[in-house]
Amino acid sequence: MPQQRFPKVEVLSVAPHFISFILSETDTSMANAIRRIMIAEVPTLAIDLVEYHENSSVLNDEYIAHRLGLIPIRFTPEGSMRRVPGGDCHQAFLPHRECVCYDRCPRCSVEFELDVNFDRVNQTRPEQERDLPLTVTSTDLKSNNPLVAPAHFLNEEEQDESHDEGISIVKLGPGQHLKLKAFARMGISKEHAKWCPVAVATYRFWPIITINAEACGMLTMEQKQELVDACPDRILELDEATGNLVPAENAYEMATFTEDLKTTQEAMKKRPEDEDFVSVVQSTDRFVFSVESTGAMDAEDILLSSLRVLKDRLNYLASEVENGLK
Amino acid sequence: MNTPERSAAFILDDDQEKIEYAADTKVSNAGTFTFNKEDHTVGNLLRMQLLRDPTVKFAGYKHPHPLVHKILLKIQTTSSQRLPTEALSAAIEDLSNETDHLITQVTEAIDKWKKENDTGMLGM
Repeated sequence: MPQQRFPKVEVLSVAPHFISFILSETDTSMANAIRRIMIAEVPTLAIDLVEYHENSSVLNDEYIAHRLGLIPIRFTPEGSMRRVPGGDCHQAFLPHRECVCYDRCPRCSVEFELDVNFDRVNQTRPEQERDLPLTVTSTDLKSNNPLVAPAHFLNEEEQDESHDEGISIVKLGPGQHLKLKAFARMGISKEHAKWCPVAVATYRFWPIITINAEACGMLTMEQKQELVDACPDRILELDEATGNLVPAENAYEMATFTEDLKTTQEAMKKRPEDEDFVSVVQSTDRFVFSVESTGAMDAEDILLSSLRVLKDRLNYLASEVENGLK
Repeated sequence: MNTPERSAAFILDDDQEKIEYAADTKVSNAGTFTFNKEDHTVGNLLRMQLLRDPTVKFAGYKHPHPLVHKILLKIQTTSSQRLPTEALSAAIEDLSNETDHLITQVTEAIDKWKKENDTGMLGM
């Protein structure tokens, strides 16, 4: 007898780097699995290997390699018609451990070249900037694959506000030269956090706010106002017309399940066993997710990719149970 | 120097089986599955799904140690007609169908949101 559930999804907002949605009619194990997979198991590209040809900058090789690794690398699929190209790279590349090549090849890695020479750039700079330190940024990384590039900014707004042209790597002074080749590979952030596609992936429980109208009838207006003021999240309002307590319009966004309402109303009760006037409890089957991307993938694609990872995993386990346990 | 490879958390060791099963020697209709290279993501998901099955009497999992990349899932069923393996298969299938359903739900919900809030993102 199947015990399958049919969860519902409601989208609250979508932006290229952010998505917020409500997942309902399932339980925490599913919500937590999705969250954990988005954080640790969605494959992305990140620089994993760096070959130095020349480094006379003030930072040592390892330091620069670490910084390069943390730059979000974005894959833009060819001819994506549906919407802004998202960047789920799992079909475009092979994990380098599974690739048949000896060291690396275009199927499992992307090559970036960086060559910045202070003295050479200095000649082309305008008079007022000449001899000032030169910032090497992610825009100096030249990819050998037209579909793959560093994600310099999350959006145009961030780009306009920034002082730099991309993500800063190192500053060069007169006579300094940085030349390197970097190789990006596909990986998951269980291995290293640089492969993590999300900056934030959280869910919160939907608040169930119950107002006991009968019990509230016993309260004076001052007491009701006291309850409204007691809640630091301001999830209650006093209806001017009827004088009743009502939940605030966007209470679900603000409720943090503090104890303040509880302690305040305990003091108002005639007997301790009296019913609560207001109760705020966590729903066990409704979750509000917020997911913010690092720029390596669009937020909605991170979500879809995480579901694909989960499905593939379950199908793999199903076949192992079928065939492996005989 | 003797740090384990980070990839040991998700890549099976040489000659390692993904799932091992050992029937319980003392309790009837019970057994323990060892899922190698899995963690709470799959462990908790399977446990919660198994607990919703009326033919399952007991289901519990443990992750023995943070550096030991495996989970142990113990299942006891209500009758000898129902093997723990069958209950596990059913749970995995239900979860797989649920995920399929979620994928369509998410795709539809995103498209619907974009139609309603036409921010010009569609054609970009």
